[in-house]
Amino acid sequence: MVADHVEQADDPKAALAAIRVVGADVFAPFLLADAVFHPADAAALAQSFAVFPPPVGTPAPPPAGPAEPWLAAWRDWGTATLLARFAGTETGGLPAAGTEADGPFAAGTEVDLPYADVGSAGVPPSTDIGGALAPQPSGAPELAEADGVPAVSHTGHTGAPGPTGTPGPGTTWQTWSVRMGQLSPLALPGLDGPVHAVARAAPRALARGATRAVLRRDFPTAARIARWLALLAAEGERLPLDPVPLVRHLGLHGGGPRLALDVAIARRLLAVEDA
Amino acid sequence: MTSSVTRTAHEVSARALAWLYDHRERGALPADATAELGDPNGAYKPLGETALAASLVLRESVAGSTELRLARELVGFCWREFREGDMLYERQLRFSLMTDPLESYVPFARIGLRHEALDVLLAHTSALRSVRSAESVPNRRLAVANAARVVGLDQGERAYDWEALTRATWLGATPEPWLIDWMTGYCVTHTVFHLTDWGARPTGLPGDLTDYVSTWLPVWIDIWAEIEQWDLVAELMIVGCCLPEPYCTAADWDRLARAQHPDGLVPRDGDPIRDEPALRFADHQHTTVVATIAGTLAVSRALDGTARGL
Repeated sequence: MVADHVEQADDPKAALAAIRVVGADVFAPFLLADAVFHPADAAALAQSFAVFPPPVGTPAPPPAGPAEPWLAAWRDWGTATLLARFAGTETGGLPAAGTEADGPFAAGTEVDLPYADVGSAGVPPSTDIGGALAPQPSGAPELAEADGVPAVSHTGHTGAPGPTGTPGPGTTWQTWSVRMGQLSPLALPGLDGPVHAVARAAPRALARGATRAVLRRDFPTAARIARWLALLAAEGERLPLDPVPLVRHLGLHGGGPRLALDVAIARRLLAVEDA
Repeated sequence: MTSSVTRTAHEVSARALAWLYDHRERGALPADATAELGDPNGAYKPLGETALAASLVLRESVAGSTELRLARELVGFCWREFREGDMLYERQLRFSLMTDPLESYVPFARIGLRHEALDVLLAHTSALRSVRSAESVPNRRLAVANAARVVGLDQGERAYDWEALTRATWLGATPEPWLIDWMTGYCVTHTVFHLTDWGARPTGLPGDLTDYVSTWLPVWIDIWAEIEQWDLVAELMIVGCCLPEPYCTAADWDRLARAQHPDGLVPRDGDPIRDEPALRFADHQHTTVVATIAGTLAVSRALDGTARGL
């Protein structure tokens, strides 16, 4: 499926770029539907990383560094982790949830990169496929207040007090939920880590963020945040709102391919039949 | 910090109250006004709102001596405009099904300004099935029930079915919070105002609705503050003060303080202010009333919290 996309494209390099843009959601058809992952798909993904490599080193989490590169690094980690899972080359870390334990590849398999002609700045023609393509960044989006609830009412702090009484590094639920939305490709079954842990710890802040985005008519952001709500619902977490009508509403009111993808994945997570 | 919220809330409400006092004559009824009131929304309704704000300043008694004096004088001014209740009485006599004489009477009755004939008349009319069944939207029914409660008519066989009244409102359905609109926002604020009698009975809001409002109030304040709907924002800040665990943040108070004009006027929204003095009063009197109440309740609840913590 992924390989077909590249093979059939007029501009293979653009097709590889598209894979990088869609990120971990490239795996949604394999995780949430019955698409079969082939070695050629792994090769296409590996080449997308070769042609459009992530920056060297992992950026510091905000506020030490800017948010955008760090968020991109987390998205790259999601893609690389699932690639390693499906390619069967992962070394340690999470068990392969929801996938065959022995994937189509033996560990350490080297895969020929089929689109050598698109160029890949110094990357050898074959490479190990796996999580080393994008290391796990440090940190996760942090909330200033536990699930958006002030520790003390009438609080004047904009950040939760740290151990020294100074404001902590966390952000408001507004900023936090937008950042979580920017990490929506991580809201897939089979991925787990610090970002998922903060999502599970703050369903209320996620629900507030999704609600705020709908009311601001920012439907793409709402759909991204709703992905996390759908994932939590699939995991059996209690939510302050029912994500099913929310996701349906977004599908009917929002537009654009990214929203369509987020809504389709959320519907699968919620086990809602596609219309 | 508690002290910064309290200080800002106090300053906003003190300035707003002073503005209401300074401009009170602009809110006077026309000299030829009768109980029939061709335009009840013209001066009659705003007088009741100003009286409400002043009566809550007096009820809470957390303001300084200057503010308490202004509040007493404002209530007195409004009471005289209503001819010390005669006008409300005549209006209730003329329009038996209307609830505004009862509702307008509440701020005065709350602080002991009673009108004996009106009390007798209200006791009669408010018990009639015809009056009780008059058609109105659910949060308006709660307004009437709370007015009856304050006046002393919510008891015995004529007690109101608060649970049924509550569940009939939009809020009572705990609806999808992402589909609220501006008008419905006001329905929510008023449902909470009346169930809690403007913060006097925080437990008057049922537990599930308390959870619901506590969860979504920050979102609604956020989105309406973003588009500078100060009137609704300030009403929602009152709602925060009516909760058993008040929601009252420094950020919200700093923002409302920034919106307030140096003379105390709190603008209803972010649109340019029309400078003509009569329009200035007509356009922004309501929001300035709301800010007075919000600040008063914020200070009062903060002091409650301090007292509880001791």
